[in-house]
Amino acid sequence: MHFNLSEERKMLKESCDRLLNDHYTQYKNHHEASSSETGFNKNFWKECSEIGMLSALISPNFNGLGGTGEDVMIVFELIGKHLVVEPFLSSGILSITSLTNSKDIETSVLDEISSASKIYAFGHSEVDTRYDETYIKTRANYKNDNVFLTGQKSFVLNGDFADKIICTARFSGNEFDQNGFGLYEIDKSHCDIRSYNTIDGYRAAELKFSEIPAKELCKNSDAYNALLETLYAGAFALSAESIGAMEVCFNMTLEYLKTREQFGKAIGSFQALQHRMVDIMIEIEQAKSAVMLAAGTYEADKNTKYKNISAAKNLVGRSGKLVAEECIQLHGGIAMTWEYNLHNYAKRLVMIDHLMGDSDHHLEKFKLYSDY
Amino acid sequence: MDFNFTQDENEFRQEIKDWLSENLSQRISNKVKKFQRLDKNDYEEFMKALSAKGWLAVNWPKEHGGTGWSNTQKHIFEEEIVKAGAPRIVPFGLNMLGPVLMEFGNEEQKKYYLPRILNCDDWWAQGYSEPGSGSDLASLKTKAVDNGDHYIVNGQKTWTTLGQFANKIFCLVKTDTNCKPQNGISFLLIDIDSPGIEVRPIITLDGEHEVNEVWLKDVKVLKENLLGEENKGWTYAKYLLTHERTGIAGVPNSKSAINHLKVIASKTFKNGKPLIQDPLFSSQIAELEIDLKAMEIFNLRAISSAESGKAPVMESSLLKIKGSIIRQKTSDLLRKAIGPQALPYISEQFDEGWNQETIGPEYAGPLAKQYFIYRKISIYGGSNEIQKNIVAKSEFRM
Repeated sequence: MHFNLSEERKMLKESCDRLLNDHYTQYKNHHEASSSETGFNKNFWKECSEIGMLSALISPNFNGLGGTGEDVMIVFELIGKHLVVEPFLSSGILSITSLTNSKDIETSVLDEISSASKIYAFGHSEVDTRYDETYIKTRANYKNDNVFLTGQKSFVLNGDFADKIICTARFSGNEFDQNGFGLYEIDKSHCDIRSYNTIDGYRAAELKFSEIPAKELCKNSDAYNALLETLYAGAFALSAESIGAMEVCFNMTLEYLKTREQFGKAIGSFQALQHRMVDIMIEIEQAKSAVMLAAGTYEADKNTKYKNISAAKNLVGRSGKLVAEECIQLHGGIAMTWEYNLHNYAKRLVMIDHLMGDSDHHLEKFKLYSDY
Repeated sequence: MDFNFTQDENEFRQEIKDWLSENLSQRISNKVKKFQRLDKNDYEEFMKALSAKGWLAVNWPKEHGGTGWSNTQKHIFEEEIVKAGAPRIVPFGLNMLGPVLMEFGNEEQKKYYLPRILNCDDWWAQGYSEPGSGSDLASLKTKAVDNGDHYIVNGQKTWTTLGQFANKIFCLVKTDTNCKPQNGISFLLIDIDSPGIEVRPIITLDGEHEVNEVWLKDVKVLKENLLGEENKGWTYAKYLLTHERTGIAGVPNSKSAINHLKVIASKTFKNGKPLIQDPLFSSQIAELEIDLKAMEIFNLRAISSAESGKAPVMESSLLKIKGSIIRQKTSDLLRKAIGPQALPYISEQFDEGWNQETIGPEYAGPLAKQYFIYRKISIYGGSNEIQKNIVAKSEFRM
């Protein structure tokens, strides 16, 4: 038993970290990035692709260089650390996972993603579905050999700038059925797009479409399985991202406690504040441990894999909120300003709990996959 | 990263299991599982069996008759003895005094005392806390006055766990009061049978007798029983407190407690269904289980970093805090799981051989009692607040 990274992975981590340190600072104000035309920095996205940050998310079976739990964990911890708004989740994890779990996918499609020459986005949430997996109202109509989609996807990360959108739509059964829906690829140009910024500095879009042509990727139980894999891959990646962001919050706060003086001394000398820092420290170590376990069982049977990802996502949901709230409180007024960087991390930590299932959702899933 | 135990480690686990199934008596494990009172013989029977096998001194190096096991092996051993329902290995001689003797004792002391600990000839008690010195241990008042070839000791020690079974006690005493408190402390090895020593029981809030007060009145202690140097006792005391704390999180105990909780919650009912199917209650169990699983990994990470030579000082404190919270929460849910059945309190139920019918299910009897006594976990061994001070001091450098 050991918890160290292999030499290869250490190198991956170091080179990605270096790139993000050296080059990402110029795009540091990610609100600027998300307010730009594309919602992220295309040149930087290309650079990420060139050093292999995207192929690290793809299995060698699909011409990638990684795709294991450890690879995803390494990349997403760094994304959390540097608060990267480029489409690692949408065009990365979510699209890659849904595509690799579809039938007859050609590796060239994944090459296009990993080389950053095409951007994919993934749309599942509808206005009132929250985190439900099978509650799908968007319709798929099969006519002869063709299929046409009608409906609305309200939260598609990077949906405005993606070349292709993968989305869920139902062709039979009622709204909650596990059967009767499929994954489809649609073209952005056919959609009515309303682009918006998210509170944590990302770009997303609401897509409306009516009887637009689509390409079937998979359906029925294949689609259900691919969707679960996709949502769980996303939940796992976000859990790892949360660790990176929590550590930054902790370090920023510690630094602030050492320098900020009140009553003639550093506020970090007060025991009431020190003890709260230790509480945060414990929860970060706990969350890190849960994410490591989920990474270690990412290739295990689905029951174990989903159980441990749900445990991790539940835990980072709780600890992320704790860290965000406590770090703001420990800073005091300065943390309420737009200018001081902490709020970007705090917002991301809280908003991660709004993506791919919150802590309540994953507590229920954990029970489902355990013996309750 | 590799979350699997090696084949050697798995075989090691099996060896421990097999040995326990043959050598831990049913009588004792039944008492442990029913939370019945253990007497001195119960502890000694198990410890002597371990000693004969060469497995008693888990934390000792081989040269002193220890196992020389790795941290991972110790962890596996700890897990298996808890699972099997063994009594705890009394730590005062083995894990507390032993390592201090090895590090700071003179040759004669080592030669005399270490084998006696190993053979269960001596039962040591810990004489640290005093009525006026809890978290602020260095403020202790028990005084040893130089009287030629011996000291005269006067004072009072408290919270002396299982002191009623002990024949020896190691005590921190003041040998110099004209200096910083930490610099005037010495470490004495004392016979409990010495004239002037009286051990009085303290009955704790669960009605049990586990801890004691030890009164020392004009007790004569020969100077050969001074450990190390005079006035260096604080160094030894701190060494003792930071030594071998990888088991501090109590992971195996919490694991078996949560399993017990799940069993009980499937036997009690709410809204016509087993309690474990109640969304509100089961969510509380699940959250606890998630926390425990994470802590188990955290603990293994600390063990594995200790294996590579890094003393897990900060991790020990964090694990002690989290471990105590998880154990206390589990005992809280256990108490809640049985509703009004938590109230009946029949003290005789916890005596060996009691065979009358219980009020309500047998498992209900100890749960409320345990909930109350487990409040101690966040107090003893350096309270959680003291642990936070330690972490802040060593990690934050403020």
